[in-house]
Amino acid sequence: MCFRIIGAGNHRYAHIGDVIVAVIKEAVPNMPLERSEVIRAVIVRTCKELKCDNGMIIRYDDNAAIVIDQERNPKGTRVFGAIARELRQLNFTKIVSLAPEVL
Amino acid sequence: MNVGGGEDADEVFDELLKKHGKVVYRKGDSKPPVAEADDDAESLSFAVALAKVASDVKAGDIRVLFVKPLVYWTRFFIIATAFSRPQIDAIGSRIRDTAEKQFKRVASGDTKPNSWTLLDFGDVVVHIFLPQQREFYNLEEFYGNATLIELPFDTQSSFRN
Repeated sequence: MCFRIIGAGNHRYAHIGDVIVAVIKEAVPNMPLERSEVIRAVIVRTCKELKCDNGMIIRYDDNAAIVIDQERNPKGTRVFGAIARELRQLNFTKIVSLAPEVL
Repeated sequence: MNVGGGEDADEVFDELLKKHGKVVYRKGDSKPPVAEADDDAESLSFAVALAKVASDVKAGDIRVLFVKPLVYWTRFFIIATAFSRPQIDAIGSRIRDTAEKQFKRVASGDTKPNSWTLLDFGDVVVHIFLPQQREFYNLEEFYGNATLIELPFDTQSSFRN
């Protein structure tokens, strides 16, 4: 569950490339992250359409975010699923370089 | 243009066929292979120069990977290990200086030294890791299919036994 968007004054919704503060509501056992932990994450996929500069509109099937730390390094070692190329312009090249597919 | 009605439509199609032919052509804006190879060579020389700079500052285990066949968004990865944060800072700033002075390119990416510092020059991406992080993220394995570029200097010589 997200409860704060970093760097956005009073915005109601976060979009692709936004950093959010969130709490973990559910976690699988034997993971470094536990339930009810407060973390930072960056949004990578949204069901809401994202308009690219080149006129493309991307819409994914799910909403997804990647857990990062204060220095913007990803907590995990691999990223699953497709990633939008806008993340590179927003200085998340680390996440892009761990992703198997870039749109 | 109304293409729905009888003869007009035929004329329009005839015209289009005459203009473009019946077979599918490659897009006109794609570069000829020679120009592409030239581009690659330029990036390669840039990447090797950066790797040389990193080895001058005693970065360990430098690898230059040709990742263009695998990902479209860049051509070369340089992966290097630094053994402390000040060293990461040194390597990063030295690479930035060289790129700016000799190649007139400016990096985006991390500005502060970080346990995984990334410098993004567009077609060359430099990763500088601490040994722990390098093992953790294991980028070489992830890009295992990429071709390793032979470096003209010995990277092992930077280790002092």
